[in-house]
Amino acid sequence: MSTRPCAVVGVGQTHHKSRRLDVSFGGLVREAVFRALDDARMTMADIDAVILGKAPDLFEGVMKPELYLSDALGAVGKPMFRVHTAGSVGGTTAIVAASHIQVGKHRTVLAVAFEKQSEGNAQFALGSGRGASLGAGGAFAPFIRAYIHRSRAPEHIGWKVAVKDRLNALKNPYAHLRIEDISIEKVKASPMMWEPIRFLESCPSSDGACAMVLTDEQGGDAAAADGRPPAWILGASSRSEPASFPGRDPVRPAAALQCAADVYNQAGITDPRRQIDTAELYVPFSWHEPIWLEAFGLADEGDGWKLVEDGTTELGGSLPINASGGVLSSNPIGASGLLRFAEAANQVRGAAGEHQVDGAKVAIGMAYGANSQYFSTWAVGRSLQPFG
Amino acid sequence: MPSRSEMGRGGDIAIVGWAQTPMERHTEKSETQLLMDVISAALAPLGLTRADIDFTCLGSCDYITGQAFSFVSNLDAIGAWPPKRDSHVEMDGAWALYEAWLRLQEGDIEIAVVTGSGRSSTGDPSLIYPMEMDPYFLAPLGADPLTFAALQARAVIASGIADERSMAEVAIRSRSRGDVDALLAEDYIREPLRRHDVPPITDGAAAMVVATGDRARRLVERPAYITGFDHRTECHNPSFRALDDSPSTRLAAEAAGLGDGPIEVAELQAAFTHEELLLADVLDLGDDVSVNPSGGALRANPIMATGLCRIGHAADHVMSGGHRALAHSTSGPCLQQNLVCIVADTP
Amino acid sequence: MTRFVASTITFPYKRSLGPVVGAFMSALTERRILGIRNGAAVLVPPMEWDPTTGAELAHDFVEVGPAGTIKSWTWVPFPSEQHPLAHPFAFALILLDGSTTPLLHAVDAGSPNAMVEGARVAPRWRGTRLGRIDDIVCFIPGETPETEGDDTGPTEEPVTRMDYLASITYRNPVPDATDRAIEASKDQCLLGLRCPTCKRVYAGGRGYCPIDALELGPDCEVELPHVGTITNFCIVTPVQYPGQTETEPFVRAFVLLDGTDVIIPYAVVIDLPADEVRVGQRVAGVWASPAEEMDEGGGMGGAWGALTGWIPNGEPDVDDPDLVNRIF
Repeated sequence: MSTRPCAVVGVGQTHHKSRRLDVSFGGLVREAVFRALDDARMTMADIDAVILGKAPDLFEGVMKPELYLSDALGAVGKPMFRVHTAGSVGGTTAIVAASHIQVGKHRTVLAVAFEKQSEGNAQFALGSGRGASLGAGGAFAPFIRAYIHRSRAPEHIGWKVAVKDRLNALKNPYAHLRIEDISIEKVKASPMMWEPIRFLESCPSSDGACAMVLTDEQGGDAAAADGRPPAWILGASSRSEPASFPGRDPVRPAAALQCAADVYNQAGITDPRRQIDTAELYVPFSWHEPIWLEAFGLADEGDGWKLVEDGTTELGGSLPINASGGVLSSNPIGASGLLRFAEAANQVRGAAGEHQVDGAKVAIGMAYGANSQYFSTWAVGRSLQPFG
Repeated sequence: MPSRSEMGRGGDIAIVGWAQTPMERHTEKSETQLLMDVISAALAPLGLTRADIDFTCLGSCDYITGQAFSFVSNLDAIGAWPPKRDSHVEMDGAWALYEAWLRLQEGDIEIAVVTGSGRSSTGDPSLIYPMEMDPYFLAPLGADPLTFAALQARAVIASGIADERSMAEVAIRSRSRGDVDALLAEDYIREPLRRHDVPPITDGAAAMVVATGDRARRLVERPAYITGFDHRTECHNPSFRALDDSPSTRLAAEAAGLGDGPIEVAELQAAFTHEELLLADVLDLGDDVSVNPSGGALRANPIMATGLCRIGHAADHVMSGGHRALAHSTSGPCLQQNLVCIVADTP
Repeated sequence: MTRFVASTITFPYKRSLGPVVGAFMSALTERRILGIRNGAAVLVPPMEWDPTTGAELAHDFVEVGPAGTIKSWTWVPFPSEQHPLAHPFAFALILLDGSTTPLLHAVDAGSPNAMVEGARVAPRWRGTRLGRIDDIVCFIPGETPETEGDDTGPTEEPVTRMDYLASITYRNPVPDATDRAIEASKDQCLLGLRCPTCKRVYAGGRGYCPIDALELGPDCEVELPHVGTITNFCIVTPVQYPGQTETEPFVRAFVLLDGTDVIIPYAVVIDLPADEVRVGQRVAGVWASPAEEMDEGGGMGGAWGALTGWIPNGEPDVDDPDLVNRIF
């Protein structure tokens, strides 16, 4: 690829909650935007273009919100773009934003993604208002059942992931769920939602926003010189596959495998397990952790659950996954993908605070959407050549 | 000194073909069926199949279609197997083209297909569009697009850029029929707008094939090179804007390099007659420029594809022997957001 | 002749207003209209941010109006169901006294002849005010506000939320393939369509192959068996939302049809309690009588018409745990 370097120099997010009743639609987004700008030591005037991502507008009942939010995002007189790729949208937002810089169209862009889903009802929106909506987990429970069978994973793996992510969330001041007394027993005792997925193995429904400031090589170098090392984009990719057709494997989707291969190829990653220090994977239901570990080559096929079992993916382990608490702890649907990309960036910037993975130099952020069909992934590094 | 590509120009990217479905008041086909047809129609003359497509970007709107995640069904029209590099914008296909134009400049792929689709006959636009307005002050009043267009028309008339007669003339030119005096004798439907001043309801879809320069030159004799491409937005509430102007159009045109040379054709997404006159004025188009030879949005207005069709018609002008053309797309009340794409016979 | 199906998406959204819009709406209940200062300007309606720069505005409110001047207007001869008035009215940009930007609202002028730029208008207040922009029913000619009905006074607490009922009706075409499948189901025929290129078979009224992006016509029809094996399933514990129809955990199963690679996804099961569903279970299709309601599709699985669900047929289970991988 003949692309120019692109760096993440600012990250901001809201305090994610089930209902942010204290803010308006614009207020929610601006909270994240100003945090990101402050983090980048910039103002709205420094931004050349705004890229907004969001899940279906049916969630809030505001159609094409980039129109209403144009002035709120300081985009007047600038390009304003809206992407929508289902659950992976936050990731796509970052990738499209980066594209502007990588081809030299702009120098500094703002990527924003959000959801104020408490204004509506997520289950309603997912089913487009019809009865007997499967809900988010209904589509995935059969995939998870298939994974458990294939891998012969013991039943407690899902519970372990759920506990790990909520414990990590306690170290993330922005996380929605803060369950101080989370435990295997508590998860196991929680109500069954979509057999075998229990309530405490499921993501919450959150109001929240995430914003990211991306800039060019000059801007990235300036931030580094100022003692604020950026996250350099090492590779980025998106792939989609159709929802349903005979022969489709939704547990190890081809789109995921190809997306990962593409990113690793761009980033010079030949041994993901060794070369990636930490990953933010889109895990809305606990079992997605071992599933994505395998699809993204961080574990061999069938062995993803073993990395959960032996503590590898815990914050103190050799490959921490979702140090931020992940989607399991905060899930403003449109923003969740961008949060994964942003948290990965923060790790290699050394800006992850209490949930920092020590010495993280290379991280990946991954998001997926719809029926495990849309995949967006990026790899970021503390330097442009992390492997020498 | 900003680089050439930073100024909205750049890349060696060209449109090599496009297709549109029949523009109908009311189609019996679903949006996915429309897309299936039109993607095949765009690829066939180039000797390409879906397997040849490196990147797809779709433009559509859930609220027009009436279903959350409606674009997921549209993915079935692409033949995304093996999996495709693919994206979607909740905007007109013109913006899907913008994303593809950036993506192709990354240099690792050669061919992209972008689409715009919508069945505006599915719902009643006057009831759907208020939902894109300020949720506190405007949506609850059911403030509809016809109302905003009328208010802008008044401002444009007051400024002297248009009058009801010149607006009627735009309608007649666009639809190739009508008599000015007869049209002006009709009642207003939203004063000062009459039926002829407003767009038709149209169901339709468009698909366009774009390629990097070398590939484009191998595919067709005369690719339509995208020499400039930019879009800008303004503040949302029309109350805060001067409605007799379109500053974002001016900015986008400047950034896209309109001033770099003459154009023969301007395809403007003007859904209302006064919009065409305003845009032509803002873009400072001389009498030597042919405005909307296709009939524009007043002849056919397939929501979410209308802008892409403008770009398609502009590309046709170049591909059939013309030198340089401008295409425009818009979104939001009173031309809130505007996109300008310039195509030419050389990169 | 294609059939069309109407569906209405309705939802009562509930918005939180934030500090600026909240203050404005609370003031409306007091029959006061607020603008917000932005340098020398006074913005009505008030915004949290400067519309040009995006800068945060200090909460420096200014009471404006209640009367104002018409700056521009248009006549609405046929109001929609969402408009503020049910009889013809004007929408106008009204510059309230003390404001530098106009407010869009309705004017109950009686006729377009009464609408003139520069004319003076004042609010007609709703008797019971909730803190919504339509606490002003509309504006009326003249300087003097009036109140419609009994004035129940301002709300007790400051207004922080707002209701918005969205209801849009859509008419979408039912693809031919769906209707053919539903029609065939009336004769207890489970129709599939085989793609001539890749040979995959699609059921549930799905009329095209997403692999080859090919429309599948009647010449592609194949008849599928009504017997199959459950390969996977999902037990959903329902949550409540407007439009929800379920109250108890319900099952959706994946049924692999005998002798084929066709899997019926998210199938309804009959006489099969959630705690008895198993991989390998043998089931047969259950058909509704012509008088009963047809499944017209629109759900995740497809359109099945008279095929209302799948019932255990008493055959011994198929002992093949790997069946669970057969989801698509």
